[in-house]
Amino acid sequence: MSRRLARAALRLYPLGYRRRYGPELDALLEDSPAGALTVLDLLRGAIVAHVRPPATATAALSPGECIRSSSSAILACWIAFVAGGLGFYKTTEGPAFSRTGDAHIALGGPHLAIQVLAALASVAILAGALPLVLAALRQLPRHRVARRATGLAVGAVSLFAISTAALVVLANTVSTFSGGAAAAILAAWAAIALACGAACAIAARRGLFAIEVRKRELTTALALGTLVTAAMAAIALGTTVYAIALAVNSGALAGEPNGPLGVLSVELSIALQLAVMAVSATLATVTSVRGWRAVRSA
Amino acid sequence: MRIRYYIAMRSIGERSTDPALLILSSLAEGPKHGYAITQDVEEMSGLVLRPGSLYGALARLEENGLIEALPADDRRRPYRLTGNGEEALRDQLQTLDRVVSTGLERLEVGTALG
Repeated sequence: MSRRLARAALRLYPLGYRRRYGPELDALLEDSPAGALTVLDLLRGAIVAHVRPPATATAALSPGECIRSSSSAILACWIAFVAGGLGFYKTTEGPAFSRTGDAHIALGGPHLAIQVLAALASVAILAGALPLVLAALRQLPRHRVARRATGLAVGAVSLFAISTAALVVLANTVSTFSGGAAAAILAAWAAIALACGAACAIAARRGLFAIEVRKRELTTALALGTLVTAAMAAIALGTTVYAIALAVNSGALAGEPNGPLGVLSVELSIALQLAVMAVSATLATVTSVRGWRAVRSA
Repeated sequence: MRIRYYIAMRSIGERSTDPALLILSSLAEGPKHGYAITQDVEEMSGLVLRPGSLYGALARLEENGLIEALPADDRRRPYRLTGNGEEALRDQLQTLDRVVSTGLERLEVGTALG
C-alpha cells in the first residue's frame, strides 16, 4: 500500500523532474522499503521541486513544454484561488456586510475592487483558454489523449453543473434544514466542486501536452495567464486590506460565527481563505516567471 | 535560554547531518547510485536518507556542479564527485574538524579548571 502511495507521490513531481530523476527514484523505491515516512518525504520533495525546480530538471524540458507546463499550472492555481475566493464571497455576501461596506470606504473599496478584478481574471482565463480548446477540438480525431482529456473535462463540468443545480433546488424547496444537515450538504457540494476543479486542471494539462499548438497561441495563453496571476496578487492584497479594515472598523461583525455549524469566526474564515489565495498567487507567480524564461530561450 | 540552546544544537545537528555533506562524503569513495548512497550514508552516520531528500540533494549538487551523473546502468544512474565537489567537501570537513577539535580542547580545559 505504502509503495503504491509512494509511486503516486512520484507523479506529483514536475514533469522535468520526473523525466530526469523519475526512473532512478522508481528503481530506488523498488530496492528500499517504502513506509509512511517515505511517502511524506516524497510529498515534501514534490512541493520543493515545484517551488524551486533544479536547473537539471528544467533542462529536461523543451521551451514549448515549459510554456505548456507554466500555462496549465497557472490554470490549476486559478482554480485553487477561486475556491478561496468563493469562500470569501459567501462569507461577506450578507446585508450586514453591505451596510458596513457602505459606511467604510476601506471595506467597500476593496470589496468592489476584488469583484472587478475577479471578473477581469475570469475573462482573461476564457480568452487564453479558448484558442487552445478550439485547437484541441480540431485535433480530437488524431489524438487519443486529447479525446480522453476532453471527456474528463466535459464530465467534470457536467457533474459540477448538476450538483450546483441540485444544491440550488434543495435550498429553494426545503424550507428548514437542521444545522448539521445543511453543513453536510454544503461540505459534499464543496468536495464535489473541488474534485471537478482538480479534474479540469488535469484534463487541461493532459490535453495541452497532447496537441500541437502554434508558439504564438502558447505565448498569448501565457501572457493572459500572467495577467490572471497579477489579478490574483491584487485580489489577495485587497482581501488583506478588507480583513484588516473589518477587524478595525467592525470588530463585532468580524467576531461573528461563520462556516459550517458556525465553528469559525468571520475573521478566521477570511484568514483561511486569504491563505489559500496567497499560496495560489505565489505559486502562479513562480510558474509565470518560469514560463517567460522559457519564451526567451525559445 | 532553553530556546537558544535548542536552536544552537539544532543548527550544529543540521550541519553534520546535512544530506548534501553526507552524499559528498559517500561519493568521496567512488561513484555510486541512489540505493548505494543511502546504504553507505546509513552505515556511516546511522541516518536514513529517504528518496525525496536524497534526490532533492542530488539534484542541487548536480545543479551546482559538485557532482556529475554517469551513464545509467538500467534505471540506476551512478554519480561521482567533480573537482569542485572534492574541493567543497574538503573545505566543509576541515571547518567541521576545526569546530570539533576546538570544542573538545575547550571542554577538556574547562573540566581541568573545575
